[in-house]
Amino acid sequence: MLKILLAIAVGLVGAALLHLVIVLSLPYFSDRDAYSRVLSEGEAFTFHILDQKPDAAGLAQEDPFLETAVCSFDTEEHPARLTAGAGIPFWSLAIYDPASNETFSINDRTSSGGKLDVIIATPLQATALRKAMPEGLNQSILVETAQAQGYAVLRAMAPQPSYRPLAAAFLSSAGCQPAE
Amino acid sequence: MLRVPLFIAISLAIAFGGGIWSTLVALEATIGFGAIKLGAWEAFPQAQTINADPYAKSHRANAGKLLYGTAEGLTFTAAVDESGARLDGNCTYRMTGHTPPARLWTLFTNDAQGRPPAENAELPAALNSRTVLRGPDGDFTIRISASAQPGNWLAVAPHQSFRLVLTLFDTPTAGSSGLIDLSMPKLEKIGCGDA
Repeated sequence: MLKILLAIAVGLVGAALLHLVIVLSLPYFSDRDAYSRVLSEGEAFTFHILDQKPDAAGLAQEDPFLETAVCSFDTEEHPARLTAGAGIPFWSLAIYDPASNETFSINDRTSSGGKLDVIIATPLQATALRKAMPEGLNQSILVETAQAQGYAVLRAMAPQPSYRPLAAAFLSSAGCQPAE
Repeated sequence: MLRVPLFIAISLAIAFGGGIWSTLVALEATIGFGAIKLGAWEAFPQAQTINADPYAKSHRANAGKLLYGTAEGLTFTAAVDESGARLDGNCTYRMTGHTPPARLWTLFTNDAQGRPPAENAELPAALNSRTVLRGPDGDFTIRISASAQPGNWLAVAPHQSFRLVLTLFDTPTAGSSGLIDLSMPKLEKIGCGDA
Protein backbone atom coordinates (compact mmCIF):
# COMPACT_ATOMS: atom_id res chain seq x y z
CA MET A 1 0.00 0.00 0.00
CA LEU A 2 2.81 2.33 0.92
CA LYS A 3 4.52 1.47 -2.33
CA ILE A 4 1.55 2.45 -4.46
CA LEU A 5 1.41 5.82 -2.70
CA LEU A 6 5.10 6.25 -3.38
CA ALA A 7 4.51 5.37 -7.05
CA ILE A 8 1.75 7.99 -7.29
CA ALA A 9 3.89 10.62 -5.56
CA VAL A 10 6.79 9.94 -7.93
CA GLY A 11 4.35 10.18 -10.83
CA LEU A 12 3.07 13.56 -9.65
CA VAL A 13 6.58 14.95 -9.24
CA GLY A 14 7.36 13.70 -12.74
CA ALA A 15 4.19 15.33 -14.08
CA ALA A 16 5.16 18.67 -12.51
CA LEU A 17 8.64 18.44 -14.00
CA LEU A 18 7.31 17.56 -17.43
CA HIS A 19 4.81 20.43 -17.20
CA LEU A 20 7.62 22.92 -16.53
CA VAL A 21 9.81 21.45 -19.26
CA ILE A 22 7.04 21.70 -21.86
CA VAL A 23 6.01 25.24 -20.86
CA LEU A 24 9.58 26.52 -20.89
CA SER A 25 10.65 24.81 -24.10
CA LEU A 26 7.49 25.25 -26.18
CA PRO A 27 8.45 28.72 -27.54
CA TYR A 28 11.65 27.22 -29.01
CA PHE A 29 9.99 24.28 -30.72
CA SER A 30 6.59 25.59 -31.75
CA ASP A 31 5.95 25.70 -35.48
CA ARG A 32 2.58 27.36 -34.93
CA ASP A 33 3.96 30.62 -33.55
CA ALA A 34 3.33 33.92 -35.27
CA TYR A 35 6.79 34.20 -36.85
CA SER A 36 6.58 30.75 -38.49
CA ARG A 37 3.14 31.64 -39.78
CA VAL A 38 4.30 34.97 -41.18
CA LEU A 39 7.23 33.19 -42.88
CA SER A 40 4.92 30.67 -44.50
CA GLU A 41 2.75 33.50 -45.86
CA GLY A 42 5.21 33.79 -48.73
CA GLU A 43 8.29 35.74 -49.71
CA ALA A 44 9.94 38.20 -47.39
CA PHE A 45 9.95 41.98 -47.98
CA THR A 46 6.33 42.09 -49.14
CA PHE A 47 3.24 43.04 -47.17
CA HIS A 48 0.84 40.10 -47.33
CA ILE A 49 -2.72 41.26 -46.77
CA LEU A 50 -4.66 38.90 -44.54
CA ASP A 51 -8.14 37.61 -45.15
CA GLN A 52 -11.11 37.49 -42.78
CA LYS A 53 -10.81 33.71 -42.70
CA PRO A 54 -7.57 31.99 -41.62
CA ASP A 55 -5.40 31.32 -44.67
CA ALA A 56 -3.12 28.36 -45.32
CA ALA A 57 -0.55 29.81 -42.93
CA GLY A 58 -3.18 30.13 -40.18
CA LEU A 59 -3.23 33.92 -39.98
CA ALA A 60 -6.39 35.98 -40.23
CA GLN A 61 -7.60 39.52 -39.81
CA GLU A 62 -8.80 39.23 -36.25
CA ASP A 63 -10.69 42.47 -35.78
CA PRO A 64 -13.49 42.99 -38.33
CA PHE A 65 -12.66 46.72 -38.50
CA LEU A 66 -8.91 46.35 -38.93
CA GLU A 67 -7.45 45.37 -42.26
CA THR A 68 -4.14 43.68 -41.49
CA ALA A 69 -0.95 42.99 -43.45
CA VAL A 70 2.25 41.23 -42.39
CA CYS A 71 5.78 41.38 -43.75
CA SER A 72 8.84 39.41 -42.69
CA PHE A 73 12.25 40.98 -43.08
CA ASP A 74 15.90 40.14 -42.65
CA THR A 75 18.33 43.00 -42.11
CA GLU A 76 21.45 40.83 -42.35
CA GLU A 77 22.66 42.64 -45.50
CA HIS A 78 20.61 45.82 -45.79
CA PRO A 79 18.31 47.69 -43.42
CA ALA A 80 14.61 47.28 -44.07
CA ARG A 81 12.39 50.26 -44.86
CA LEU A 82 8.66 50.34 -44.20
CA THR A 83 6.59 53.04 -45.84
CA ALA A 84 2.92 53.89 -46.20
CA GLY A 85 0.79 56.93 -46.88
CA ALA A 86 -1.88 58.61 -44.82
CA GLY A 87 -5.57 59.35 -45.24
CA ILE A 88 -7.31 56.74 -43.12
CA PRO A 89 -8.74 57.26 -39.62
CA PHE A 90 -6.16 55.10 -37.89
CA TRP A 91 -3.23 52.89 -38.70
CA SER A 92 -0.68 51.20 -36.51
CA LEU A 93 2.51 49.23 -36.96
CA ALA A 94 4.23 46.78 -34.66
CA ILE A 95 7.63 45.17 -35.22
CA TYR A 96 8.44 41.86 -33.58
CA ASP A 97 11.54 39.71 -33.30
CA PRO A 98 11.40 35.98 -34.22
CA ALA A 99 10.28 35.11 -30.68
CA SER A 100 7.33 37.51 -31.15
CA ASN A 101 8.64 40.00 -28.61
CA GLU A 102 7.64 43.52 -29.51
CA THR A 103 10.62 45.63 -30.51
CA PHE A 104 8.81 48.73 -31.76
CA SER A 105 5.32 50.03 -32.30
CA ILE A 106 3.88 53.22 -33.71
CA ASN A 107 0.57 54.66 -34.83
CA ASP A 108 -0.43 57.49 -37.12
CA ARG A 109 -0.46 60.14 -34.35
CA THR A 110 3.01 59.29 -33.13
CA SER A 111 4.57 59.32 -36.61
CA SER A 112 5.62 62.49 -38.40
CA GLY A 113 2.94 63.88 -40.68
CA GLY A 114 0.73 60.85 -40.20
CA LYS A 115 2.86 58.88 -42.64
CA LEU A 116 4.69 55.67 -42.01
CA ASP A 117 8.42 55.78 -42.71
CA VAL A 118 10.48 53.45 -40.55
CA ILE A 119 13.94 52.02 -41.10
CA ILE A 120 14.82 48.81 -39.27
CA ALA A 121 18.54 48.32 -38.85
CA THR A 122 21.01 46.34 -36.83
CA PRO A 123 23.07 48.44 -34.38
CA LEU A 124 26.01 48.43 -36.81
CA GLN A 125 23.92 49.58 -39.76
CA ALA A 126 22.23 52.20 -37.59
CA THR A 127 25.58 53.70 -36.63
CA ALA A 128 26.61 53.84 -40.29
CA LEU A 129 23.28 55.44 -41.20
CA ARG A 130 23.56 58.08 -38.48
CA LYS A 131 27.03 59.04 -39.66
CA ALA A 132 25.93 59.67 -43.23
CA MET A 133 22.17 59.72 -43.58
CA PRO A 134 21.34 59.35 -47.28
CA GLU A 135 19.19 62.07 -48.79
CA GLY A 136 15.53 61.11 -48.61
CA LEU A 137 15.85 59.15 -45.41
CA ASN A 138 16.12 62.23 -43.18
CA GLN A 139 12.52 62.02 -42.04
CA SER A 140 12.60 58.31 -41.35
CA ILE A 141 12.38 56.85 -37.90
CA LEU A 142 15.39 54.66 -37.23
CA VAL A 143 14.69 51.51 -35.24
CA GLU A 144 17.56 49.42 -33.93
CA THR A 145 16.89 45.73 -33.46
CA ALA A 146 19.22 43.30 -31.77
CA GLN A 147 18.16 40.48 -34.08
CA ALA A 148 18.33 40.74 -37.85
CA GLN A 149 15.17 38.75 -38.53
CA GLY A 150 11.67 39.68 -37.59
CA TYR A 151 8.27 40.65 -38.86
CA ALA A 152 6.09 43.71 -39.04
CA VAL A 153 2.32 43.91 -38.67
CA LEU A 154 0.53 46.86 -40.26
CA ARG A 155 -3.11 47.49 -39.43
CA ALA A 156 -5.46 49.97 -41.07
CA MET A 157 -8.81 50.82 -39.59
CA ALA A 158 -12.03 50.89 -41.63
CA PRO A 159 -14.66 51.93 -39.07
CA GLN A 160 -17.40 51.85 -41.68
CA PRO A 161 -17.75 49.72 -44.82
CA SER A 162 -17.18 52.77 -47.02
CA TYR A 163 -13.64 53.06 -45.61
CA ARG A 164 -12.69 49.55 -46.68
CA PRO A 165 -11.41 50.47 -50.16
CA LEU A 166 -9.29 53.25 -48.57
CA ALA A 167 -7.83 50.87 -46.00
CA ALA A 168 -7.20 48.22 -48.65
CA ALA A 169 -5.47 50.78 -50.85
CA PHE A 170 -3.40 51.95 -47.88
CA LEU A 171 -2.18 48.42 -47.22
CA SER A 172 -1.55 47.47 -50.83
CA SER A 173 0.49 50.64 -51.38
CA ALA A 174 2.51 50.06 -48.21
CA GLY A 175 6.14 49.25 -48.86
CA CYS A 176 8.43 46.81 -47.11
CA GLN A 177 11.77 46.76 -48.92
CA PRO A 178 15.46 46.43 -48.24
CA ALA A 179 16.97 49.94 -48.14
CA GLU A 180 20.17 50.13 -50.14
CA MET B 1 6.93 -10.45 -8.73
CA LEU B 2 5.15 -8.20 -11.20
CA ARG B 3 4.50 -5.49 -8.65
CA VAL B 4 7.63 -3.43 -9.21
CA PRO B 5 7.03 -3.03 -12.97
CA LEU B 6 3.41 -2.19 -12.17
CA PHE B 7 4.46 0.62 -9.81
CA ILE B 8 6.89 1.94 -12.39
CA ALA B 9 4.14 1.85 -15.01
CA ILE B 10 1.80 3.79 -12.68
CA SER B 11 4.47 6.42 -12.04
CA LEU B 12 5.22 6.85 -15.73
CA ALA B 13 1.55 6.99 -16.69
CA ILE B 14 0.85 9.68 -14.08
CA ALA B 15 3.98 11.61 -15.02
CA PHE B 16 3.36 11.72 -18.76
CA GLY B 17 -0.42 11.82 -18.68
CA GLY B 18 -0.56 14.42 -15.92
CA GLY B 19 2.28 16.50 -17.32
CA ILE B 20 0.85 16.75 -20.81
CA TRP B 21 -2.74 17.20 -19.64
CA SER B 22 -1.87 19.93 -17.13
CA THR B 23 0.16 21.79 -19.76
CA LEU B 24 -2.66 21.67 -22.29
CA VAL B 25 -5.14 22.87 -19.69
CA ALA B 26 -2.86 25.66 -18.49
CA LEU B 27 -2.19 26.96 -22.02
CA GLU B 28 -5.86 26.78 -22.92
CA ALA B 29 -7.18 28.37 -19.75
CA THR B 30 -5.05 31.46 -19.46
CA ILE B 31 -2.89 33.80 -21.49
CA GLY B 32 -0.50 34.04 -18.56
CA PHE B 33 0.01 35.88 -15.33
CA GLY B 34 -0.11 39.64 -14.97
CA ALA B 35 -3.72 40.09 -16.08
CA ILE B 36 -5.49 43.31 -15.27
CA LYS B 37 -9.01 42.61 -14.11
CA LEU B 38 -11.63 45.35 -14.21
CA GLY B 39 -15.02 43.92 -13.39
CA ALA B 40 -15.74 41.25 -15.97
CA TRP B 41 -12.92 42.42 -18.25
CA GLU B 42 -9.35 41.27 -18.34
CA ALA B 43 -6.34 42.39 -20.34
CA PHE B 44 -2.71 41.37 -20.66
CA PRO B 45 -0.68 44.50 -21.38
CA GLN B 46 2.63 42.62 -21.10
CA ALA B 47 1.74 39.60 -23.22
CA GLN B 48 3.59 40.75 -26.35
CA THR B 49 6.72 42.02 -24.61
CA ILE B 50 9.95 40.34 -23.67
CA ASN B 51 8.90 40.72 -20.04
CA ALA B 52 6.01 38.30 -20.48
CA ASP B 53 6.10 35.35 -18.12
CA PRO B 54 6.92 31.83 -19.41
CA TYR B 55 3.25 30.86 -19.55
CA ALA B 56 2.41 33.90 -21.65
CA LYS B 57 5.34 33.21 -23.99
CA SER B 58 4.32 29.59 -24.31
CA HIS B 59 0.71 30.52 -24.92
CA ARG B 60 1.50 33.03 -27.64
CA ALA B 61 3.94 30.60 -29.32
CA ASN B 62 1.20 27.99 -29.40
CA ALA B 63 -1.68 30.28 -30.37
CA GLY B 64 0.28 32.11 -33.09
CA LYS B 65 -1.81 35.27 -32.96
CA LEU B 66 -0.67 38.69 -34.09
CA LEU B 67 -0.71 40.67 -30.86
CA TYR B 68 -1.06 44.41 -30.46
CA GLY B 69 2.01 46.48 -29.73
CA THR B 70 2.00 49.02 -26.92
CA ALA B 71 1.40 51.97 -29.25
CA GLU B 72 -1.33 50.15 -31.11
CA GLY B 73 -3.89 49.11 -28.59
CA LEU B 74 -4.94 46.95 -25.70
CA THR B 75 -7.47 44.14 -25.90
CA PHE B 76 -9.88 43.44 -23.08
CA THR B 77 -11.89 40.24 -23.13
CA ALA B 78 -14.87 39.21 -21.04
CA ALA B 79 -16.04 35.61 -20.82
CA VAL B 80 -18.33 36.22 -17.84
CA ASP B 81 -20.78 38.95 -16.82
CA GLU B 82 -20.61 41.18 -13.75
CA SER B 83 -21.93 38.40 -11.49
CA GLY B 84 -19.39 35.88 -12.75
CA ALA B 85 -21.76 33.77 -14.86
CA ARG B 86 -20.55 32.62 -18.27
CA LEU B 87 -21.81 34.69 -21.21
CA ASP B 88 -24.50 32.71 -22.99
CA GLY B 89 -26.10 33.28 -26.38
CA ASN B 90 -29.53 32.49 -24.93
CA CYS B 91 -29.42 35.54 -22.67
CA THR B 92 -29.59 39.26 -23.24
CA TYR B 93 -26.90 41.49 -21.73
CA ARG B 94 -26.63 45.21 -21.26
CA MET B 95 -23.25 46.92 -21.44
CA THR B 96 -23.28 50.48 -20.09
CA GLY B 97 -20.79 53.17 -19.25
CA HIS B 98 -17.58 54.59 -20.65
CA THR B 99 -14.41 53.00 -21.91
CA PRO B 100 -11.04 54.17 -20.57
CA PRO B 101 -9.60 57.02 -22.65
CA ALA B 102 -8.79 55.84 -26.17
CA ARG B 103 -8.96 57.34 -29.64
CA LEU B 104 -11.04 54.52 -31.01
CA TRP B 105 -12.38 51.24 -29.82
CA THR B 106 -13.94 48.20 -31.42
CA LEU B 107 -16.22 45.60 -29.88
CA PHE B 108 -17.01 42.18 -31.29
CA THR B 109 -17.63 38.67 -30.06
CA ASN B 110 -15.55 35.51 -30.26
CA ASP B 111 -16.86 32.03 -29.75
CA ALA B 112 -15.51 29.91 -26.89
CA GLN B 113 -12.63 28.72 -29.08
CA GLY B 114 -11.55 32.31 -29.71
CA ARG B 115 -12.64 32.47 -33.31
CA PRO B 116 -14.04 35.77 -34.56
CA PRO B 117 -17.63 36.03 -35.75
CA ALA B 118 -18.54 34.73 -39.17
CA GLU B 119 -18.78 37.56 -41.64
CA ASN B 120 -22.52 38.02 -41.74
CA ALA B 121 -23.22 41.43 -43.17
CA GLU B 122 -26.91 41.19 -42.33
CA LEU B 123 -26.47 41.37 -38.56
CA PRO B 124 -24.47 43.90 -36.51
CA ALA B 125 -21.84 41.48 -35.21
CA ALA B 126 -19.34 44.24 -34.39
CA LEU B 127 -19.48 47.83 -33.22
CA ASN B 128 -16.93 50.58 -32.92
CA SER B 129 -16.61 53.99 -31.29
CA ARG B 130 -17.67 55.76 -34.48
CA THR B 131 -20.82 53.78 -35.15
CA VAL B 132 -22.13 53.45 -31.60
CA LEU B 133 -25.05 55.66 -30.52
CA ARG B 134 -24.21 57.67 -27.42
CA GLY B 135 -26.02 59.44 -24.62
CA PRO B 136 -25.67 63.19 -23.92
CA ASP B 137 -22.50 62.79 -21.85
CA GLY B 138 -20.76 60.38 -24.19
CA ASP B 139 -21.74 57.19 -22.44
CA PHE B 140 -23.33 54.33 -24.31
CA THR B 141 -25.65 51.39 -23.76
CA ILE B 142 -25.18 48.32 -25.90
CA ARG B 143 -27.58 45.41 -25.81
CA ILE B 144 -26.01 42.06 -26.58
CA SER B 145 -28.52 39.48 -27.69
CA ALA B 146 -29.31 36.93 -30.34
CA SER B 147 -32.61 38.69 -31.13
CA ALA B 148 -32.97 42.25 -32.40
CA GLN B 149 -32.83 45.05 -29.79
CA PRO B 150 -33.53 48.79 -29.91
CA GLY B 151 -30.60 51.22 -29.78
CA ASN B 152 -27.15 49.70 -30.05
CA TRP B 153 -27.47 46.02 -30.78
CA LEU B 154 -24.61 43.54 -30.90
CA ALA B 155 -25.81 40.30 -32.43
CA VAL B 156 -24.50 36.99 -31.08
CA ALA B 157 -25.12 33.42 -32.18
CA PRO B 158 -27.89 31.79 -30.15
CA HIS B 159 -27.42 28.66 -27.98
CA GLN B 160 -23.69 28.95 -27.43
CA SER B 161 -21.37 30.71 -25.05
CA PHE B 162 -19.29 33.59 -26.33
CA ARG B 163 -16.62 36.08 -25.34
CA LEU B 164 -16.67 39.82 -25.78
CA VAL B 165 -13.54 41.45 -27.17
CA LEU B 166 -13.13 45.18 -26.60
CA THR B 167 -9.98 46.66 -28.12
CA LEU B 168 -8.88 50.19 -27.23
CA PHE B 169 -6.68 51.80 -29.85
CA ASP B 170 -4.02 54.42 -29.17
CA THR B 171 -4.76 54.38 -25.48
CA PRO B 172 -2.63 55.52 -22.55
CA THR B 173 -4.08 52.49 -20.79
CA ALA B 174 -1.67 50.18 -22.58
CA GLY B 175 1.40 51.74 -21.00
CA SER B 176 0.03 52.61 -17.60
CA SER B 177 0.20 50.57 -14.49
CA GLY B 178 -2.32 52.75 -12.68
CA LEU B 179 -5.05 50.92 -14.50
CA ILE B 180 -6.97 50.14 -11.38
CA ASP B 181 -8.60 53.58 -11.34
CA LEU B 182 -9.94 53.18 -14.84
CA SER B 183 -13.52 52.20 -15.33
CA MET B 184 -14.73 49.74 -17.90
CA PRO B 185 -18.32 49.40 -19.09
CA LYS B 186 -20.58 47.36 -16.83
CA LEU B 187 -21.88 44.09 -18.21
CA GLU B 188 -25.21 42.97 -16.75
CA LYS B 189 -27.53 40.14 -17.63
CA ILE B 190 -31.06 41.44 -18.17
CA GLY B 191 -32.87 38.26 -19.09
CA CYS B 192 -32.71 34.81 -20.59
CA GLY B 193 -34.80 32.84 -23.04
CA ASP B 194 -37.46 34.48 -25.16
CA ALA B 195 -38.74 36.70 -22.38
